[in-house]
Amino acid sequence: MIRTAGLTKRFGEVLAVDSIDLDVRPGDVYGFLGANGSGKTTSVRMILGLVLPTSGTVELLGQPMPRGGHRVLPRVGTLVEGAAAYGHLSARANLNLHDASGGPAGRSTRRRRIDDVLEQVGLAGTGRRPVKAFSLGMRQRLGLAAALMSQPELLVLDEPTNGLDPQGIREIRELLLRLNDNGATIFLSSHLLTEVEQMCTRVGVLDRGRLVVQDELANLQALTGRSVVHTSEPAAALAVLDGRVEKRDGERLVVRADDPAALNALLVGRGVPVHELVAERRTLEQVVLERSEPGPVG
Amino acid sequence: MIAVELRKLARRPRTWATLLMLDLLPTTVAVLLAVTHLGPRPGQGPAFLSAVLSNGTLFSVAALAIVLPLFLPVAVAVIAGDSIAGEAQAGTLRYLLTRPVARSRLLVAKLVSVLVFVLVAVVLVAGTGFVVGKLLLGGQPLTASTAVTSVSGSTLTPVQVALRTLLAIGYVALSMIGVAAMALLLSTFTDSPLSATLGALAFLIGSSLLLTLDAARGLAPYLPTRYWLSFIDLFRDPILWRNVERGVLLQLVYVAVLLGAAWANFSSKDITS
Amino acid sequence: MTRRWRWLIVAAGSAALVALPLAVRLLPVGHSAITAAGLLARVQASAGVQYSGYAESSGGLALPVTNRFNSINDLFGDRTQLRVWWRAADDWRVDAVNLAGETDLRRDLSGVWSWNYESNTAARTQQDTVPIVRLPRADDLVPATLARRLLSHADPVRATRLPDARIAGHDTAGLRLRTGDARSTIDHIDVWALPSSGLPVRVKIYGRGDTKPVLATTLLDLSTSAPKASETAFTPAAGAKVRYGQDEDIVAAVDQFGRSHPPAQLAGLSRRPLEVGSVGVYGQGVTLLVAVPLPPRLARTVAGQLSGTPGSSAVGGGVSVGVGPLNLFLSGEGIDDARWLLAGTVTAATLTAAAAQLPPADGFR
Repeated sequence: MIRTAGLTKRFGEVLAVDSIDLDVRPGDVYGFLGANGSGKTTSVRMILGLVLPTSGTVELLGQPMPRGGHRVLPRVGTLVEGAAAYGHLSARANLNLHDASGGPAGRSTRRRRIDDVLEQVGLAGTGRRPVKAFSLGMRQRLGLAAALMSQPELLVLDEPTNGLDPQGIREIRELLLRLNDNGATIFLSSHLLTEVEQMCTRVGVLDRGRLVVQDELANLQALTGRSVVHTSEPAAALAVLDGRVEKRDGERLVVRADDPAALNALLVGRGVPVHELVAERRTLEQVVLERSEPGPVG
Repeated sequence: MIAVELRKLARRPRTWATLLMLDLLPTTVAVLLAVTHLGPRPGQGPAFLSAVLSNGTLFSVAALAIVLPLFLPVAVAVIAGDSIAGEAQAGTLRYLLTRPVARSRLLVAKLVSVLVFVLVAVVLVAGTGFVVGKLLLGGQPLTASTAVTSVSGSTLTPVQVALRTLLAIGYVALSMIGVAAMALLLSTFTDSPLSATLGALAFLIGSSLLLTLDAARGLAPYLPTRYWLSFIDLFRDPILWRNVERGVLLQLVYVAVLLGAAWANFSSKDITS
Repeated sequence: MTRRWRWLIVAAGSAALVALPLAVRLLPVGHSAITAAGLLARVQASAGVQYSGYAESSGGLALPVTNRFNSINDLFGDRTQLRVWWRAADDWRVDAVNLAGETDLRRDLSGVWSWNYESNTAARTQQDTVPIVRLPRADDLVPATLARRLLSHADPVRATRLPDARIAGHDTAGLRLRTGDARSTIDHIDVWALPSSGLPVRVKIYGRGDTKPVLATTLLDLSTSAPKASETAFTPAAGAKVRYGQDEDIVAAVDQFGRSHPPAQLAGLSRRPLEVGSVGVYGQGVTLLVAVPLPPRLARTVAGQLSGTPGSSAVGGGVSVGVGPLNLFLSGEGIDDARWLLAGTVTAATLTAAAAQLPPADGFR
């Protein structure tokens, strides 16, 4: 759906994006993770043809950007760096203008589609209220509504949950996952680890303009070959697991073990009470910290 | 896209406020003239103002002459300066372009919508001028109100007056196309509508200033405001086409060059707003 | 297409548009074989050539006089745009157009209509009451009219040919006439005229040592087809104020009512024949001298204005001022404070010499 090769952008002396090779596949919920200022937004803008790359290529839905934009962008819904709308107009009027600026196509279904997306994002009740009276979260929902208007195959969303309360974040997350179930590919850029971890199937991590990680989330969260054991008799457990305990923290033991079931059987067999036993997985945070260069990120 | 731009323009309260302001000035002048009956001294004040004292029919043209030098260009610069920079400032530009709207088409649609605004403004000013002139200044003997004296002293029939007024409306509207294109060009350079508007106005003020300078004589035929007031030539008998033709041509050249520059800049500009 | 290419295209297009009018100017000019004397003769006999056009004149003379002579200052010190329709010497129309209106002259068999749009006034002057001496009018700046007046008595020996030029879309032949008179402040006159008919389309007058003309007038548009009679005719419109009778011409008034009598010769220049009034006009072509007796009140005003002009000097009881090639001299007080005002395209020394030959200014009692 999105494929970039050696994508680079230089603003004067500053290298904003350094030769990244993104690969977003159909059906993905792709999490594009990076700190603020890491070049996420610039990359998104290059993908959408708003910013021209210094070098490298972008392919969007099989078309080179920005040249093929007029063919593929109608099938893409976008939310870039915050929603924007005409403040003096209502949500409905804004969506109307937004859709009409794409041309006369879909005119007959416009009213129905507007009703649908307003319902989807939870803005159905705003009526004639002008957007300038909207809260930040409502504007963000309106931006999302605009992105959904053309029932896109691909959603490119830059920080979509910005300004939303926890309840709103959950609503939007559920909406996006529902859309993904219905076949839409979602490219979601965010600086929030948890957001990406909760929603995405694939993750790309940008660190100071360079793509340091790109993989399935499941692969990244691979088993570490260790298990975490909670026991009320840690001394007994230590005796049983002679030398295999890597770390002891009160009643919590980190044990090197390839097979958690065998570990459990071993402990229970020796009469050690096991309250809890979990195969340890790596967290996304660990991965990001490992792969990113140390030092402050601007 | 043009229809969309026109809808945007029509739904902006500011558009209507601007039109109202444009109409208010000539109306005020008409009221003052009707009350005081003091025309400007010969050689001073806007064209046709002394003539309307004896015949209100020409007030539609006098109204154009009143708004042409300052009010109309300011209004045009405000609307046109806002065209791209306003969308950039509001952040809606990126959504327009990813909708997608081709950048060159957006430029043309913006320019056309500004021109429609100008045309509406000019027609409205002329129309208001006509009505106000008839109501406030038309209280003259019937013979005088049916016949209008041309600038050259001959008598113009009502049909001739109507035709020439239409030509004048068209000419004044066309005269604004250069300002509109300038403001549009600047609007593609900056994300601040105010800077674009002020830049276009600076361009106009510069042009007007150079026109008064003898040292800049050679530049005069290239200055955008050089032929603005030539619409009075349409009311000479026979019509003096020379400056009107040049005025039209000059504006078209300005549009071609400025729109070309706007295209060159905007087509490959990084949209970071 | 890269950004650089786009800008290159726009720059090239703009350059082409700007260069187009310049390129037209560089088109080769047809060459005319006419001799200087032949061209001069044709210009002198061109009063019957019919044409219409649009002329612009520019003068560099800022006269140190105001109020009553304002119109002269406008004519010679500024740019004037003129529309001309010429059917015959007694059937023409000259409109001086400006941004606020126009001031028109329509000549017919029996007189002149003048029309002023801003004052909404039409004034009729019968030709037989037009004084021989009058203040300059807009039609005096029409290139053809001006050229014929300046060249009326020109000696063909002093005429040389200038390179041909394209003016108002027509190929024209150039002519230079040197004054060759030590008394004159005018060095030469350049005239370009249609070689076939002799119709002058451009006139430039140069003072001694000047590189820029003191007065230049050129037809910018020219049609050699005959104007229609309706185009030069004039009937005052219904709402216009109409005045009959003479213009407010101070010089004409002085000429008629003054009692001074200028002599037949001044500083070696002969007075125009047929002149009998108080105003004396001497010389011919471009070497001209006018002597006007001023009534006391006007004399005081003019004296004040002249003495206040930078560069004025007191000479033998009078005041002398030079404005480009034009010199002015206001004599000392005569009878009842009346004074002579001498003006001309002659040197200051010639003017003072002439003033000495005049009788004391008199009259207006």
